[in-house]
Amino acid sequence: MKQPDFLEAINAAAPEHGAVSYQGSLPFGDALHIEAFELSSGLRILICEDHSAPVLAFHTWFRIGSRHEQPGKTGLAHLFEHLMFNETTSLAKGEFDRRLEGAGADSNASTWLDWTQYNVAVPSGQLPVVIELESDRMAHLVLKAPQVESEIEVVANERRYRVEDDIDGAMSELLWATAFEKHAYRWPTIGWMADILAFTTEDCDAFYRSYYAPNNATVIVVGDVTVADVVERISQAYGKIGREQLPLENNIPEPAQNGERRVEIRKATATDKISIGYHSPALGDYDYAPMNVLSQALLGGRASRLQKKLVREHEAASDARIFLGPFRDPGLLEIYASARTGKSAEDLLEIIDTELRALQSEPLSCDELTRAKARMELGLYGSLETVDGKANSIGFYEAVLQEPAAAFQRQQSLQRVTASDVLRVARRYLNPENRSIVIVRPDSPDGEVSTAEDNHE
Amino acid sequence: MSDSVIVETSRALPIVSFSVSQASGATEDPRGKAGLARILGRLMRRTAGGRGVEELDTQIDTLGGTLGVGVSGSVFAVHGAVLTRSIEPFIALVEEMLAQPGLDENELERLKRETLADIIETRDSDSDTAQLLFRQHLYGDHAYARTATGTSNTVTSITAADVQQQHAARAQRDGFLFAFSGDIDASEAQNVATRLRASLGAGTGVSDTTPAPRFQSGRRLMIVDKPDRTQTQILIGGSGTHAQDPDHLALCVANTAFGGTFTARLSQEVRAKRGWSYGAYSSLSYDRQRRAFSMWTFPKTEDAGACLKLQLDMLKSFHDNGITLEELDAAKQYLQRSNAFSIDTPAKRADLQLDSKLYDLPPGYHDDFVERIGDISLEQANAAVRARIPCDNLAILVLGTKAALGQTIDDAIEGLSSRSVVPHDQELVD
Repeated sequence: MKQPDFLEAINAAAPEHGAVSYQGSLPFGDALHIEAFELSSGLRILICEDHSAPVLAFHTWFRIGSRHEQPGKTGLAHLFEHLMFNETTSLAKGEFDRRLEGAGADSNASTWLDWTQYNVAVPSGQLPVVIELESDRMAHLVLKAPQVESEIEVVANERRYRVEDDIDGAMSELLWATAFEKHAYRWPTIGWMADILAFTTEDCDAFYRSYYAPNNATVIVVGDVTVADVVERISQAYGKIGREQLPLENNIPEPAQNGERRVEIRKATATDKISIGYHSPALGDYDYAPMNVLSQALLGGRASRLQKKLVREHEAASDARIFLGPFRDPGLLEIYASARTGKSAEDLLEIIDTELRALQSEPLSCDELTRAKARMELGLYGSLETVDGKANSIGFYEAVLQEPAAAFQRQQSLQRVTASDVLRVARRYLNPENRSIVIVRPDSPDGEVSTAEDNHE
Repeated sequence: MSDSVIVETSRALPIVSFSVSQASGATEDPRGKAGLARILGRLMRRTAGGRGVEELDTQIDTLGGTLGVGVSGSVFAVHGAVLTRSIEPFIALVEEMLAQPGLDENELERLKRETLADIIETRDSDSDTAQLLFRQHLYGDHAYARTATGTSNTVTSITAADVQQQHAARAQRDGFLFAFSGDIDASEAQNVATRLRASLGAGTGVSDTTPAPRFQSGRRLMIVDKPDRTQTQILIGGSGTHAQDPDHLALCVANTAFGGTFTARLSQEVRAKRGWSYGAYSSLSYDRQRRAFSMWTFPKTEDAGACLKLQLDMLKSFHDNGITLEELDAAKQYLQRSNAFSIDTPAKRADLQLDSKLYDLPPGYHDDFVERIGDISLEQANAAVRARIPCDNLAILVLGTKAALGQTIDDAIEGLSSRSVVPHDQELVD
């Protein structure tokens, strides 16, 4: 592996923690490459030149998610993501966002079970501003009580919006809390409301000092840049930040589930809903690709088995969806359906169970396999149209699997999945004792909606 | 290249995206038949070439494609994407969908039942429910108040004859605009468009006859009562802008400073300073007629009255005093630089060209956007705000649990002129 010529000069001028080592080049599709570097501080740098448009994406992925939290302190990773837009030792409150917007940036952040990511997309030429701002907040964030208290209110309102007053959000949260008893995946990334409201500035400060270190992060730059320029600028800006001793992750593997778990709640809705979660393989597991094909064959499009049965043939559901968790540890395969008026959650479950049993007894047809694979191929290309989409793919697979180009490698794995593979994973995972069920019933027992008459006062 | 064909080529990925669009949508549904254009589009998709829906769904997935219909108030569009290797059979399918749909009566009845279930399903979402009812509250009996999905009554009333007539009226070759992007060049795109046009009958399709809306006077409150809410949805709006207004872009710049970004006044006051709402935005949009200016927040029940009052006070200050030079410069710089993300993919570039034609935008609306934004002065921006932003004539909607809100909402609105309370599952009218 030959080191790029420009590295010698960069290293000669590097700050204390900014010496750069070259870690190689990975193909990213047919036309692009990812060049990988690492600072002496442990910060990983992944750069993909893409000159198709005069824009660039700059992502920072931290290997810190809600899985690293403890009971009583749930939601801290997500709250902290909000706080990262506050003041630093050199930037006044609000200045971070003002300078990014001044650069024409499209920016946001997100937190999930395994990671937290910060994404910025800017026009070409604005890279120096982004590097200055991002490196600054990695090391010099200032946390003050009034801002922490205000942000706690914002997050509590986000939770009301996404969970308390949202049926899908409430069901998903309850499903994971029911399916997991030991592993940290049992609490929601946004956190329990009581925990959110109880956080202190000291909690947030300790979290920052523990996890926001260069050796716990990867920077991804995709777009209209040159590798040498990016490496030099990052070495200079981030090379002043030293590595930290990261806390030991203290997680407990989820034991095998040995019996179906079922919970029922009431909500202000007109019809029953059902959500079923089967413990399923981790993203890096050999079984993940066949489970992905299985999920597509079940509910991946209008021609999928459950879509046809639930929505068309039995006219039992108004909506049906499937989701296979892409996580570092085993997650859930979630099947959700909303009943039509006059149909019950039990009606939906019976139809779903019939199709799941069929998957365990008969292999998918050749046509079904072809369709599932073609849908996923189209989905992959669709997700990579923008520089931000490419950076997101690289960052996600780097954070979860340490394989930044895995999107394309896994596409090849998917194409190799056979009907036998799908039959095997259906038999391994889709068993009643391995599942949890959440049922929502309408608040009014007859499911009737209120009178439509206008009530003018 | 025909004027009706738009193409943006990029060989970066092996996919082709396309849309076949008509500049008239659900506002042209006959009275009492709201939802007809959407039902037609979906039925065309399900009965292309007189074939069955399962056969079609299977073929589309096998080809590695997506094919859908989008119907808004002002546009009827067939759109999709496909792996390049499947473009030929996919276009044959689109041709069958446009020109030879079976419009099977049993499938129509099934589709109507699905649509009725969708209408009930939508009521589970507070924000969707609030938006639908706000549109009616804001636009009254104007066509912009109507929903493309239709209402339970109007969908039920749609007949096979209605659908056939609607297809005959829309499937006319000069009524469509064709846009392609991705792994396709100008010559290939022109050939596809020529082929699709040749399959259609003569004529210019359905014209948009929607008149300019008239916004009602006074501060009118609608409370949408939904049980067990921990927070509210607050929507405030009134007369907005028209792309042909001489002060249209000046108003857009001013709105960007008021509520268009995270650092804008509204977000700073409501979210950053007080933590009252996860989001706080104001927006302006364009159409073929004047559209509304509106604000959206979603504070918890206990903060709803104070949040609403703050928003109304901020709106008055915005109207009376306008924005500052510093705010103007920041908004202009943001709009100019972020424009790069309106044109960074071939699909977005094609969409902008298509928008210009579909909405009769002034010449150079998108192409000269950056330069024209740069020319806007503080005087122009603030004159536009004074002339266009409504303060006294506002539709205000609050979705929440009425009993928990008590009198707080009424008390927050100075000069309240009318008030109504409706249940959250209120049937829309057409």
